[in-house]
Amino acid sequence: MTGNDSQLRSAVSDARDDAMLAGEQLTLGYGDTRIIDGESLAVDPGSVTALVGPNGSGKSTLLKGLADQLAPRSGSVLLDGREVSDYDAKSLAQRLGLLSQERTSPESITVEDLVYHGRYPHRGFFDPPNDDDQRAVERALDLAGCDHLRDREVGSLSGGQKQLAWIAMALAQETDVLLLDEPTTFLDLHHQLEVLEIIETLRDESDVTVVVVLHDLEQAARLADHVVALRDGEIRARGSPESVVTEDLLADVFAVDADVTWAERGPRITPLRARHDETDEEPARQPTLEQPTD
Amino acid sequence: MSEGTAAPTRSVAWFDSSLVALCLGSLAVIVAGGLIQVSFGAYSMSIAEAWQAVLDPTVLLDPQAWRAFLLGGQLPEMGNQSLIVWNIRLPRVFVAVLVGMNLAVSGSIFQAVTRNELASPFILGVSSGAGLMILLTLVLFSGLSTFLPIIAAVGGSVAFLIVYVIAWQNGTSPVRLVLAGVIVGTVFNSLQTAMFFFADNIGVVQSAIAWTTGSLTGTDWEQVRLALPWTVLAMGLALVSSRQLNVLLLGERTAKSLGMRVETVRFALSGVAVLAAAASIAVAGIVGFVGLIVPHMVRTVVGSDYKRLVVGCLFAGPALMVVADVGARLGMQLLTGASSQIPVGIVTGLVGGPYFLYLMRRQDNLGDV
Repeated sequence: MTGNDSQLRSAVSDARDDAMLAGEQLTLGYGDTRIIDGESLAVDPGSVTALVGPNGSGKSTLLKGLADQLAPRSGSVLLDGREVSDYDAKSLAQRLGLLSQERTSPESITVEDLVYHGRYPHRGFFDPPNDDDQRAVERALDLAGCDHLRDREVGSLSGGQKQLAWIAMALAQETDVLLLDEPTTFLDLHHQLEVLEIIETLRDESDVTVVVVLHDLEQAARLADHVVALRDGEIRARGSPESVVTEDLLADVFAVDADVTWAERGPRITPLRARHDETDEEPARQPTLEQPTD
Repeated sequence: MSEGTAAPTRSVAWFDSSLVALCLGSLAVIVAGGLIQVSFGAYSMSIAEAWQAVLDPTVLLDPQAWRAFLLGGQLPEMGNQSLIVWNIRLPRVFVAVLVGMNLAVSGSIFQAVTRNELASPFILGVSSGAGLMILLTLVLFSGLSTFLPIIAAVGGSVAFLIVYVIAWQNGTSPVRLVLAGVIVGTVFNSLQTAMFFFADNIGVVQSAIAWTTGSLTGTDWEQVRLALPWTVLAMGLALVSSRQLNVLLLGERTAKSLGMRVETVRFALSGVAVLAAAASIAVAGIVGFVGLIVPHMVRTVVGSDYKRLVVGCLFAGPALMVVADVGARLGMQLLTGASSQIPVGIVTGLVGGPYFLYLMRRQDNLGDV
């Protein structure tokens, strides 16, 4: 089935072998709480889409829904026009990758071994790594700029280096769509820029479609083709960075008064004060143990 | 860098010097422990005589003898020393080897499945289910006691399935599995203890204690024949599953986004671990601590890559078990002069507890896999 699909794709098209991901009327939640209530989102092939919004706005939940890690209560997620839940686990993972915020690995695993795990969906149960796997791993290490770390143990790396190693693992998966959940959070400025440069490279030099959750609006505006702003599980604005990153949006979505000026390299946001008038409108969602903060 | 060379290098590079050293060291310990076991006992002989009997070509090269050992049947004629070494003392060492590798590999698998370094082969109820069935058989259904090994193994497996059913709620999680294991273990252990009140003589109680603490007393080729096929199967499956275990260590969400069907893989791997544990229970009863401690020891030497860890456990588990059985069989004789033997599970606990204390003092991050 899956073999036929990929043969079919490569036979039919050089014109469109990149993927498109779409969530339609998605309702997502945990237990009794609804986080996302009937939102739709379409991602253009080869583009970079940034999800922004305050803590608890549902960005990570939306990303999980798109990656088939959280079954929607209603609505559907389509990858190339086909429901993600209809793909079998491995063939979905060959086409769609998610780098979640979960970072658990044994301390003593080497970076190279970690990146090789990215080839999991491409390998059969008994298959040793083949030339394709090796090429993909080399390319991923190179693209993520952690070639020099390959023999280091993950436990010995700094937070930023660890992040690059995990991104390399996701890149080795060689998917058409890559979903990144807050890849720059908790990193120093240097490593934030390293991560953003990786995404820029993907945008400019490959067909990979990227959806990335970012906390920094300026970064999102500089990086993304499309910005989607969420608040309380609702998409409040979407479109080009210029149309979304505005003073009105900062007031509406982030409850912040700010000056926004546009320079050559993107917007310059100067936060002035937190707005208190609307913040009581709805109590903050209390995440329970199993829920992520977003 | 060229494509032809790097891939094959990678596929053997994991068998590194620390693993080789561990395996050779363990082999040396097994051989030394085995020789002690073979040399000493009620019929005493010198080390040289023992060596001679072990290497006796009339047994070693006799297909009929091996057929009798491995498939059952009539033993060929052999000398007294050869008979004692080959028919009484060596099979006990072989059973210790099988039990050691089963428990060590089973423990290492459960440590990955539950993502908890304190997991043992018995964390998901296997020991309590087996223990209850052992007591029921000895006390209430003594007519079935010839089937005790099988009943114990089946009881352990059934308890594991009950644990899984309790833990299941749109899938499982490591924490829920461990909690369900505690629930089933508590109830079954209480019932097991209650059964002791119905035991009518001290012999039944001693037999029950030997089974529930684990003992190799009186094991011979029959136990080897019973455990060997399951051991080969379980160890083979564990070896080919090492990459699944490694990916499972990256966390459920990562494993899932890499395309692993986490629930299926977790259940299958648990099944392999239960098979190994059941095989060891059937021949030796419930030997504690080996499955907990050996994966630790191996991990400190070769790291946490399961390709190395499983291979290391295949050697280190038998080493610990053979040495512990030397203590169980000959220790009392050395200490008190009495010829009585103690259950090997008592020795593994006596060795395992202090080793854990040592680990706890040495490592700050004990508990992380």
